[in-house]
Amino acid sequence: MSLAVFLLAVGWPLVMAFLLLFKAARPILWRMMPLAPLPALVLALLTPGPVLVTGEWFVLGLTMGLEPVSRLFLIFTAVLWVAAASAARQWMREDPRATGFGVMFLMAMSGNLGLILSKDAMAFYGAFALMSFASYGLVIHSRDAAAKAAARLYIGFVVIGELILFSGLVLAATQAGSLLLADMRAAALSDLAVALLLTGFGIKLGVMPLHFWLPPAHGAAPVPASAVLSGAMIKAGLFGILSAVPLGVVSYGDHGTVVMAAGMVTLFAALLLGLQQTGAKTVLGFSSVSQMGIIALGLGAGLMTPAAWAAILPVLVFLAAHHALAKGALFLGVGAWAAQQGAGARLALGAALLVPALVLAGVPFSSGALGKEALKAALAGGSPVWLPWLTLALTLSGVATTLLMARAGALLWLAPPSAPRTRPEALALPFLGLGGAALALPILWPVLDPAMAAPVRTSPPGALWPVGLGLAMAFAAALTAHAQKIGPVRFLAGIMAPFHAFSTQLSSLWALKRRAARRTGYALPRMLERHAACWRLGQTAVAALIAAVLMIEVAASQREARITTPAVQMFTQPDAPGIGTADAPGHRQTEDHHAPREPL
Amino acid sequence: MIDLSTALNTAVRSDVPLLPLFILLTSLLAAPVLFALPERAARLRTGLNLGVAAMKVALVAWLGIKVSQGVIYDVSFAMLPGLEFKLQADPLAILFISLSAILWLITTVYSVGYLERGPHRARFFGFFSLCVAATVGIAMAGNLFTFLIFYELLTLATYPLVIHRGSAEALRAGRIYLIYTLAGGLVLLLGTLGLWVLAGNTDFTPGGVLDAVVAENRAAAQLLFVVLVGALGVKAALVPLHAWLPIAMVAPAPVSALLHAVAVVKAGAFGIMRVVYEVFGIDTAQALGLTAPLAALAAVTILYGSLRAITQDDIKKRLAYSTVSQVSYITLGVALASPVAAVGALAHLIHQGLMKITMFMAAGNLAEGMGVKRVSQMDGIGRAMPGTMLAFSAAALAMIGLPPLAGFVSKWYLAQGGLDAGAAWVVALLLGSSLLNAVYFLPMLYRAWFRDGSETCATPARPRIGWWLAAPPITTALMVLVVGGFANAPFSPLEWTRFVVAIEYLQE
Repeated sequence: MSLAVFLLAVGWPLVMAFLLLFKAARPILWRMMPLAPLPALVLALLTPGPVLVTGEWFVLGLTMGLEPVSRLFLIFTAVLWVAAASAARQWMREDPRATGFGVMFLMAMSGNLGLILSKDAMAFYGAFALMSFASYGLVIHSRDAAAKAAARLYIGFVVIGELILFSGLVLAATQAGSLLLADMRAAALSDLAVALLLTGFGIKLGVMPLHFWLPPAHGAAPVPASAVLSGAMIKAGLFGILSAVPLGVVSYGDHGTVVMAAGMVTLFAALLLGLQQTGAKTVLGFSSVSQMGIIALGLGAGLMTPAAWAAILPVLVFLAAHHALAKGALFLGVGAWAAQQGAGARLALGAALLVPALVLAGVPFSSGALGKEALKAALAGGSPVWLPWLTLALTLSGVATTLLMARAGALLWLAPPSAPRTRPEALALPFLGLGGAALALPILWPVLDPAMAAPVRTSPPGALWPVGLGLAMAFAAALTAHAQKIGPVRFLAGIMAPFHAFSTQLSSLWALKRRAARRTGYALPRMLERHAACWRLGQTAVAALIAAVLMIEVAASQREARITTPAVQMFTQPDAPGIGTADAPGHRQTEDHHAPREPL
Repeated sequence: MIDLSTALNTAVRSDVPLLPLFILLTSLLAAPVLFALPERAARLRTGLNLGVAAMKVALVAWLGIKVSQGVIYDVSFAMLPGLEFKLQADPLAILFISLSAILWLITTVYSVGYLERGPHRARFFGFFSLCVAATVGIAMAGNLFTFLIFYELLTLATYPLVIHRGSAEALRAGRIYLIYTLAGGLVLLLGTLGLWVLAGNTDFTPGGVLDAVVAENRAAAQLLFVVLVGALGVKAALVPLHAWLPIAMVAPAPVSALLHAVAVVKAGAFGIMRVVYEVFGIDTAQALGLTAPLAALAAVTILYGSLRAITQDDIKKRLAYSTVSQVSYITLGVALASPVAAVGALAHLIHQGLMKITMFMAAGNLAEGMGVKRVSQMDGIGRAMPGTMLAFSAAALAMIGLPPLAGFVSKWYLAQGGLDAGAAWVVALLLGSSLLNAVYFLPMLYRAWFRDGSETCATPARPRIGWWLAAPPITTALMVLVVGGFANAPFSPLEWTRFVVAIEYLQE
């Protein structure tokens, strides 16, 4: 593995940026845009173990290399840049300032990849500066008032950050007696040097109170640029701290306390600030700030307790990758959603957007939940005073993120960002790819580096209730907002409307029934009468029948009596009326019955 | 890596002992010929100019290689009893003459393009050549007396260049320039006499010649230091002696470029370097308690120049104040009395030259090509003149101190040197200065690249600048990149600087 390979990985985007200046080369170069980070990605994937290469002649001795942490950083960064570059290609198709954007985009890409590969302070600082300054062109791209204001804020922070970083690196290099970052990491740097390094990188990381530049810049930049700004570039701040600060070697209690407190504040203050924003992308920017609060918690614990750092480091790298992929997917998704024309496509993409949003919020088994749980476990080795609060904060961060995601979703619906109208389906592809990667991260991570993935693999799946609580709160907030928007009376009326409708329906049904009953009431006597007439007739008939039967019976019994006594008499008067004859034997019979009793 | 021990131990006499004299004479003899050439013989003049300049670069390269091999060049003859005219080619001199030789070649190309069809070209190129000869003489002067001769020659040769345009403003600028520099020269003469009286000779020797004097008359030595640095500080534009520099920027662009990058201000800074290192010796100067005030003066100049630059709307004036600030980095590095800072100072001598000449030539191109002379007119100029503005941007970012550009390397060494010397305030000073650099350079880049062009540009002097104008700033911008990017390579200015500093600090 020679230096040339590393220089190719870093220099290839720069070569493309230079060629982009020539008009004839532009179409083919835009087509090749997604290939720009590819040499770096291939280098990261194919490099098995730690590599270190040096170039004596460059600057003050150039050292580049790859080891497990930087390899993982390089992989997720390059993946994100590939996705963003393919989105940028479509996004800039009709843009009159596409060339300027392309040049700045490629230069920022080269800087971002370069700083991960750098192993000495000079190269690192140079790449960091290249990335930061080139991104100015991305932030200001649209040239409207908001973009100009955001860019001014951004460049101010960049310049101050670079100066602080310069002084930090000079101090660190002097104290370590070496320009190599690895030597700085191993040396007992002074409090001032560490404070300067933390501040310089903290500006890039966007931890409060150094975050002011971040949300407006992420809101103002075009979507592909926001994705890399939020996904890849702020991780450069974390990477710088991991590379230059002697974490796990020396204890910096005061710094740790400050960083941890800043992380705590960041986690939730970003929520409060983010909820007040009116642009979906700005809210996503505040969500990045909030997420970097989580990273700061880990860093603070590592600064306080060097012994815990070995457990914290792999989790922080995982969290960085998780946030890079999920947030990158969200930004690209916002753009892709806004570019869609049809309602069906919008619905489908909206559903797809839920995936990275929920991953970021940390539904169980997602990378967000696994990372947070693993961090909780790793923090257990740290300060016991802080631990319960950290655990609580990490758990509640799920609520905060859910709320921010809900806010971003609502804003996306209410005020979608502007997007190019051409080839909307091509814009959806990078988003879907990145979203898939974010979803599959817990599976992919152990494949990339089993050793670094160990804490994540063994961590519990996490709880659902923070996300549920967040959703419930978001729903309640949405209702309240709706009520305030249309006025409480109307809102109450709106809430009561179904009941009103129900009661109206019920009463109308009741009236109907009552009318029907009344009708029935009127109809019933007549009917009954009719029935009764029939019945009376029938009754009469029945009675007559009964009477007839009785008479026949009586008649029959009289004739029987006549046969037994004067049988001849009976037969001699066969045509005598039955009734007349029947009475006589009856009487007789009763007399007969009485007769024997009289002697008694 | 240049092998220092061999270079010092195997000191050999050269087989061409007069090589320094030849180098001096190339431009010195070219001057009368150029004066004599008729105004119309443009091609001949151009050919002669370029030929001599190229020859000088070749000779300097040869000299440099020889010196790095340990060959000692020493040319001297007595002018008066006890007063020698002495030329020597030590590594410090090589550093300065290679800068002047290379930048002279480039500026000559630029001047040919710039003054195309202009009046008084014979006069211009004659004095131009004389000016470079004086610079070479300053670089190779072996004692303060020789230095003084060329120092005065430089004043006289640059005056006609400053007033070349002949306008009232130019004449006024020339008058102010002359008053400042002649007064400085006069004080330098006094100082030289003082040195001669005190020390008996005025030779530049690593480690200094004043140890005996210091031992017996401390106050006199201190006074001598103040007089000499004060005299040289006029050309080095140390506050409060800097006022002539921003006024002199009315000169044509190539003159400003040469003035700011190589000739005048650098002669002052180089003189301070010689005085501190080779007349007093850095340890003696420190023992006299004189380096700390000098460092403080340099610090004040650095901040003052930058602060004034922010408010200037005229591009060349802003660059001029920037020079005031940047040249004092050299003085600061010398005054810090730390070898690391000295490396930074010497490297900055070269780096600042490359950066500033790029910016002045670019500014000249803007004025020629688009009629843009003020910062407020620069809107969208990057699209109109991309090559020039790319060169300007590279130089500006290098001034702010971004790696791997040249300015970063010198700033890094100065900061490390400050820490090495136990003066942590230097880091803060550099931060402040870099911040101010950013404050006055970044808005120019912003206007040029990120604003849409306005139609209010003044009418350009010519419709389209030619290669003679376009190529030189791009070349020097590439050099800014290469010198910084390959700072560690053999024969880079930085590497040579380390060689020089090793010599100056070994004499203890």
